[in-house]
Amino acid sequence: MTRQLITLIVNGDRYQVPVAPHETLLDVIRDQVALTGTKRGCTSGACGVCTVQGEDGRAVLSCLALAIEWDNRPVTTIEGVAGEDELHPVQKAFLEYGAVQCGACTPGLIMTAKALLDENPDPDEEAINEALAGALCRCTGHIKVKIAVREAIKAMVADAAAEDSHGV
Amino acid sequence: MQLPLFEYHRPASLDEALATLGTAGSSLAVLGGGTDLLINLKLRLERPRALLSVRELPELAGVSVDAAGTLRIGAGERLTDLATHPLLVARYPGLAQAIRAVGSRHVRNMATLGGNLCLPTRCWYTNQSEGWRGSQLPCWKTEGQVCHVIKTASNCRAIHSADSVPALIALDARLLLRSSQGERELPLADFYRDDGIENNVLAPGELVIAVLVPPARLRSVFVKAAARTGLDYGYATLAGALGGSNRAPKSLLLVAGSVGTMPMVLHQSARIILADGLTEASIEAAADAARDDLGEVTNLFTPPGYKKRLVRGLVRRVLNELRRQKLPAAD
Amino acid sequence: MASRKADLAVVGRDQPRLDGAHKLTGRSLFTDDVVLPGMLHAKIVRSPHARARILSIDTSAALALPGVKAVITHADAPKLYVGIEQPLFRQEIVNYIGDEVAAVAALDEATAAEAAALIKVEYEPLPALFTIQDATRPDAFLIHAKAKGNIAWQQAQDLGDVEQGFAGSAHVRTDTYTTNASHNCYAEFHVAIADWSLPDKLSMYTPTQTAILFQKSLAGALRLSDGQVRIMNLNTGGGFTGRTSVRPHHDVAAVLSRKTGRPVKVRATADEEFIACRAGGEVKYTFRTGVSDTGQIKAFEADITFDTGAYVESQMIVLTLTSSYIHSLYKIEASRYSGRLVHTNNIPYYFHHGGGLAQMAFGLGQHMDALARELGMDPIDFHLQNGVTKGHTSMTGTFFGSCGLAECIRKTAKQAGWKRKYGKLPPLKGIGIGVGAMASGAKGVFKHDTSAAFIKIVDDGSMSLFVGLPDMGQSSHTAMAMIAAEVLGAQATDITVISGDTDIVPLDVGALIQRGTFNTGNAVKAAALDARKQLEVLAAARLGVKPSQLVFRDRQVYPKGQPDKAIPLKKIVYDTLHSREGRFVMGRGFYNSPKESGTMAYSFGAQIAEVTIDPDTGFVTVDRIVASHDVGRAINPRIVEGQIDGQVFSGLSQVLYEQTLLENGQVMNPSRLDYRLPRSYEMPKVEHIIVESIDPFGPFGAKEVGEGPIVCTLPAVANAVANALGEPVNEMPITPWKILQILGRRAKARAGS
Repeated sequence: MTRQLITLIVNGDRYQVPVAPHETLLDVIRDQVALTGTKRGCTSGACGVCTVQGEDGRAVLSCLALAIEWDNRPVTTIEGVAGEDELHPVQKAFLEYGAVQCGACTPGLIMTAKALLDENPDPDEEAINEALAGALCRCTGHIKVKIAVREAIKAMVADAAAEDSHGV
Repeated sequence: MQLPLFEYHRPASLDEALATLGTAGSSLAVLGGGTDLLINLKLRLERPRALLSVRELPELAGVSVDAAGTLRIGAGERLTDLATHPLLVARYPGLAQAIRAVGSRHVRNMATLGGNLCLPTRCWYTNQSEGWRGSQLPCWKTEGQVCHVIKTASNCRAIHSADSVPALIALDARLLLRSSQGERELPLADFYRDDGIENNVLAPGELVIAVLVPPARLRSVFVKAAARTGLDYGYATLAGALGGSNRAPKSLLLVAGSVGTMPMVLHQSARIILADGLTEASIEAAADAARDDLGEVTNLFTPPGYKKRLVRGLVRRVLNELRRQKLPAAD
Repeated sequence: MASRKADLAVVGRDQPRLDGAHKLTGRSLFTDDVVLPGMLHAKIVRSPHARARILSIDTSAALALPGVKAVITHADAPKLYVGIEQPLFRQEIVNYIGDEVAAVAALDEATAAEAAALIKVEYEPLPALFTIQDATRPDAFLIHAKAKGNIAWQQAQDLGDVEQGFAGSAHVRTDTYTTNASHNCYAEFHVAIADWSLPDKLSMYTPTQTAILFQKSLAGALRLSDGQVRIMNLNTGGGFTGRTSVRPHHDVAAVLSRKTGRPVKVRATADEEFIACRAGGEVKYTFRTGVSDTGQIKAFEADITFDTGAYVESQMIVLTLTSSYIHSLYKIEASRYSGRLVHTNNIPYYFHHGGGLAQMAFGLGQHMDALARELGMDPIDFHLQNGVTKGHTSMTGTFFGSCGLAECIRKTAKQAGWKRKYGKLPPLKGIGIGVGAMASGAKGVFKHDTSAAFIKIVDDGSMSLFVGLPDMGQSSHTAMAMIAAEVLGAQATDITVISGDTDIVPLDVGALIQRGTFNTGNAVKAAALDARKQLEVLAAARLGVKPSQLVFRDRQVYPKGQPDKAIPLKKIVYDTLHSREGRFVMGRGFYNSPKESGTMAYSFGAQIAEVTIDPDTGFVTVDRIVASHDVGRAINPRIVEGQIDGQVFSGLSQVLYEQTLLENGQVMNPSRLDYRLPRSYEMPKVEHIIVESIDPFGPFGAKEVGEGPIVCTLPAVANAVANALGEPVNEMPITPWKILQILGRRAKARAGS
């Protein structure tokens, strides 16, 4: 088995990692980059706990992505979502509106919700459901998750408005 | 579940891809988005020596309409891009709906159209881990001599559940294939075979390049009956595309998916509508007639009788929606 | 003495969970994230047969594989039992598909998997039993010789004069129901990392609802003393009654670790999860109820048979739970219960979310609804008439010190618009009510039902609260911090909750039987009061009042009614320590129910569901759920809502979606895709009504909210579907094909009449 040295760009940090063709992005992020916030679940694309964002911001199932295809392509994981001292608005809303319970699916849900809002800052109910359907959450039953996503949208709109009014 | 060992090739050009494909034969698996192939590899359903990644090939990219009005969709296009493509949404709503019905949004972000067109059939006796399969006698697909679903069947009856396919067949789409020997085009409907193992006629060395949808102003609808919206295989799906008016329809194709080893065209139901137009009574009659065209369905995941009832309901729904839908605007 | 809401500074206000930011940023550690030095990976070799004789086991090829460190079979653990009767590895007969036969530890997971495949086991397949019906036939062979008639366990009881009760009833109705096998399906898969490299100490990382039971069970099985077993449950990714006992993989990790002298990790693969977890099996119920012509229940009889699968562990508790449930909900004068666990060659079952009661409520709720309709009564009036009330003592000896059942029913009905809708909805629309009751802890697992807590306060005023109660998502640690903060006049965020290590934390029976808030909450309150007493000495002297006159609130201490004289709490703490006496503040407390057996408090609830049936597909959409729950006191209201939400999800999911599909003992849908849990699209809006009956025995009046809502959801949704169809549905889940079948039959009957 030959390994190829690739550059994985995770949350802006560059990691030189030797990967074999059969190793998934999930394996490499967890085992070699040692970021374990991205969870290992069903490993067949049905539960969404391994969700990361690719360079276009879209949600990617890292269990079904070959690491070798991610040479020099930026990846955002759950560890790269919050600011230095402040949670991302999606994280804040999840916390405030009780959308986090056991936490095992939470990183995947946050990445899923963030990917949605990065692509579509004003999603309707249908778009929210569409995005979240790929991620499983037994504890919350998605109910407070949907509320939190809607509240995050409001907060982000308010933040943007505040920024505008201050002018640059 | 872990992936088995394999080699990985990313050809720099289509020619290189076709050359590799031509010489490697069945020891090579074509990798699109990976959302189905990698699961099957994890389940050890396929054991290729190498994967050939074709998604980035420029010849497989793009959505365009030529001078004659033929729509061309590259096989490497991602499903998310297609489901939201303004042209598809406006002119081919049934196709956009069908593509949106594939997997989850997560899956569609990665999966390609070509991958969906070449989706292997699925069955709960085979799409399981190797350890799980150890409890069952091998079936046609796992080198045995029996079908666990339909005991009397002489070949594999696993279910074809690629949602984009019925919608494309309803639009009379054609498929563009290429190998190092040359190119060929065939109706998408003729691409599929009534066999759960070799479920299409892709020749060794051939690659799906694009789908071509002939010019026509059609109303189109796709519905999927699945336990869950947003992530599931359907119990049954139905696509319909209608030319002409409600009173005087000129063309109608109704295609059922997820009912057997290949999509099934419901000729009898369409004939009723073409003869009588879209009325409440003709829709009911067309729904009732669906049963005759379905023939033997694969009752997997659902008990006998349900799928036929379901398709009846879906025919009614699709026809009612077609009846209400406005004809897409011309360019 | 019950506190008024206004008197409370912390309890009753929304507090985001204290570990939330860690969970939301990927910093929270779960067992699968742990890597120990030298850690090996294990795979279990399982029987592919539902029943077979083992003829030979050849491990030589596996042992020869480079990277393999150990292979174990029955010979390595001959007298090791998981639970009562399940040997860790089978020597002679395997009893279900998945039965453990051997295990291998290797340097990495892939090598372990490869080695497992190289272990050659020769079997002689034997006939097997897969249904309750087959297993209980008089001529059925015995799966275990000592379980005559394949009855693993049974329980029967008569309370009151049952015959007279039925004889004196104006109406008697009998119904039968079936609920099918199902699975807990939490986000975190089963996993354990054992380090038993030194003989006198086994350390294990694993998710659990009860570290103490794991400790005792492993110690007993592995011949260690309790203190030699250390259980570390970091975060537990969901419980749902599925992580209340040790499973074979825990013992496998331990034995392999002992054999190799290295830490060993076992993690269930996607489909193995459905075997390792076990969850709930098929259950058959017959309910018979006699009522007076005014609708008063005169006698009730339940006969319940559970498929317990190949082995029993502690499933017999489900008999006790289901035998007494009716008495916690209705005032019953006479009752008969007959229940049994039947062995089959299916997976050894345990419990699904709702612990046997929610599944029972699917049928029981429909049965009572049908009975009310038969009498021409509105089900709401029926429940109000028969429901238990505050001050009632049941035939089983439970005293209800608080009861908000009637309030829940009335408020839910009002908000849902019941009177406007019931019986007046258009075709294919339905509305249904479900009512329920749930114990807040109970004696039964042990003679005691003890939870204990320590609290230490350091001189900056920050506190560490030590509890043995695991938090598997229900936010119990935050609730515990809030209770301690309320007593000590602190903020919840001043408190760090230390948990998840049996070497450190005090005893706690764990997060089961909905005992956390009630029992551990009372223990935490006692520990906090103990710490406060230590602070009161100095504070009372400084302020010149009696300790009983002191108020601890908002990080201040002051005489009652004189907040202007406040001294900062941290100054009191600092001065208590920084004195000649050098008093370090450490509170301790424990709580154990004073009762001989049973439960101190019950929570109550009522839910109303509205559904729409699609006649083309047979699919049911749940349009709305109104859920009220009497939690005694909502310690953390938004979290209480979240608990209700999760159970509404799980309840409607069980009624309409979930089923472990079995064919000859094999799970046909062992994946997160094919085991169909609903997702975002399928979830309705849930409206919450929190009822606070202020229980005299609960901490600040609080009772459980861990399973009370789910026992209401199942009957509410089932009754709504029945209402839309015009007839009850006797099998769960209610599938689309069943719906189309019923609709078809009813249409035919209408056409024929």
